[in-house]
Amino acid sequence: MAAGNVPSRQTLLESTDPVLLRKAGKQLRKLPADPDLRQVTVAVLATSTVGPYRDLLTSALVGAGMWPAIDPGEYGTFEITLASGRFTTGADPDLVSLLMDESFFLPADWSPTDVPALAAHVEGRLHELGELVAAALAGTAATVVLHTVPLPAQVRDGLVSLRDRAAVAQLWTRLNAGLLDLAREHPQVVTADLVGLLADAPFAARDERLHRYADLPYTDGALLLLAGEVRRAAQARAGLSRKVLALDLDNTLWGGVLGEAGAEGIELGGLYPGNAYKQLQLSVRRLREQGVILVLASKNDAALVDEVLAGHPEMVLGADAFAVRAVNWKAKAENLRAAAESLGLSTESMVFLDDSPFERGHVTAELPGTVVLDASGDPAHLVRTLLRTGWFDVLDLTKTDLQRPQLYRARALRSDFSTGFGSSQDYLTALGLRLTPAPVTGYTVARAAQLAARTNQFNLTGERFDQATTTAMSTSADHLVATFEVSDRFGDEGVVGAAWVHRDGDRWRVLNLVLSCRVLGRGIDLAIAGWLARQARAAGATRLEASYVASKKNGVAAGFWTTAGFAAGAEPGSFVLDLTTEPGDLPGWITLRERSDA
Amino acid sequence: MTTPAATTGTTVAEILAGVLDEPAAALREQPILAAHDWDSLTSLEALAQLEARFHVSLDLTAFNAARTVDDMTALVTAATPA
Repeated sequence: MAAGNVPSRQTLLESTDPVLLRKAGKQLRKLPADPDLRQVTVAVLATSTVGPYRDLLTSALVGAGMWPAIDPGEYGTFEITLASGRFTTGADPDLVSLLMDESFFLPADWSPTDVPALAAHVEGRLHELGELVAAALAGTAATVVLHTVPLPAQVRDGLVSLRDRAAVAQLWTRLNAGLLDLAREHPQVVTADLVGLLADAPFAARDERLHRYADLPYTDGALLLLAGEVRRAAQARAGLSRKVLALDLDNTLWGGVLGEAGAEGIELGGLYPGNAYKQLQLSVRRLREQGVILVLASKNDAALVDEVLAGHPEMVLGADAFAVRAVNWKAKAENLRAAAESLGLSTESMVFLDDSPFERGHVTAELPGTVVLDASGDPAHLVRTLLRTGWFDVLDLTKTDLQRPQLYRARALRSDFSTGFGSSQDYLTALGLRLTPAPVTGYTVARAAQLAARTNQFNLTGERFDQATTTAMSTSADHLVATFEVSDRFGDEGVVGAAWVHRDGDRWRVLNLVLSCRVLGRGIDLAIAGWLARQARAAGATRLEASYVASKKNGVAAGFWTTAGFAAGAEPGSFVLDLTTEPGDLPGWITLRERSDA
Repeated sequence: MTTPAATTGTTVAEILAGVLDEPAAALREQPILAAHDWDSLTSLEALAQLEARFHVSLDLTAFNAARTVDDMTALVTAATPA
């Protein structure tokens, strides 16, 4: 961060002080865009005054590694902007954040003696909002973030009949259920549960003075909670969420020091504090079930740790829960770096949880891209420490997410297998690699968009086609969007690559090709290029055009098109494959399996 | 020796200067808030910061009537429990 008086990104992310974050956001907005952060545009549409929301959202997004351009929209244009789907951000924004209060849903006046009439009005307005959102979605590929709305005290307490009060509370719960349902109905919609968050945070929803004076329906604290949820949606959309959780053992996954207390002396399960550690393990296991890869990073006696993992009756996470176990006396930063390498991932994909300030400080210094979480203090807070920032959030879980921990365990096994071969080609042949290309479907479009967002190394043009755009292309006659599944003798890697192609008669153009870094170095990329060439040729194309746009991270793919047989085009970074002659052979160690619908 | 009232005045001036994005000296020179970039948004930001810093709740009508740094300091002092 360039400005000396702006807090660190970690502080921006973790602070719960709205005053600090509002000031920081105001300062940040005066700075030039930070090119090292992911640029993101956000249109804010409000049924009220936006007030400090813009500054709070700025702080939240910068804290998570994004540089936002936020357009707060014009006061009083909520409905017309949604209905037209034309935002004033210039190009289509990445996110649209709707800031709503009860004024949208309630009539200007209502009778406490006619609750059914009130219910009819509120339900009608919910229906109208649904139609406005659908209209907006027709014109934008942005992720639209809405939120549940608290029932104002003046409505609740304005009813003297306890039965009617319950009926209105029920009506309001239905309204919020309807808002949450919009996220189920539309893949581009995310609904944040602001009501639930307010119940769990030390902030009042409203300051009546500011509501009446400035049409500010929410306190800075409530807006901070909402900004945090919008940040989580933006982070998931941009592919900035993490894949790996590295965990310490002593005083993190269990209480006490194993080397001193022995396997029977550690605190795990039963009463406090053992129950707090067991709850952490259960939460970690749930993260693993949702695709988070686990790494053990502990300075301990490996044999003793194995004994606890296998034999402790309260241990939830067994040895096979971890893709990598780095239990030794080396520096943890070194272990994390090695673990990342064996997984084929970067240390920037990691979150590290440890109680020792020394270990946290060392990892922070050595691996600045790794998120470091503090497990010290009362173990009752461990689960919240791990989960509250939402480091592992994704918009939708894909089949690959669910399989990822097993996939990466298989990858570690593959590393061992590779040591027994004379040449890498022998090894690749013995792997029995199979590549299955297929047009993108409703089942795979989320994965294709996720790959576009998350892939940095083998990402040839940096064009990050999102789910809405990919879906639109998949039904367009002018485009081909293909996904690529890979499997081998160790298991199924799932969908690991995607290509977006513009079909223009006899000229096909690859808009982008992305491939997960975990399958690089196996010739999969060349087989994909060969498959694309054959598809284009079979459709009558005479040339296949492609490009490479260099980024900070995609140097590994710089020579790809040339290796695949393409000639340099007229423009720098452009490549052409002549399809009037038969394309070259595919790598001999890869079997191409065409889907019947391909 | 610095009196508590003087400390409050200094802190109020610092907060107001920060919100207005001006050096404290500029406020000392021209203490009338309306002479600076004192709009509804900056005034509400000042309200949030003053209330958070001094743990007080200010009367909004009186707050809006305050014209100078000294007026604001008096308002905060009056709202602070003895």
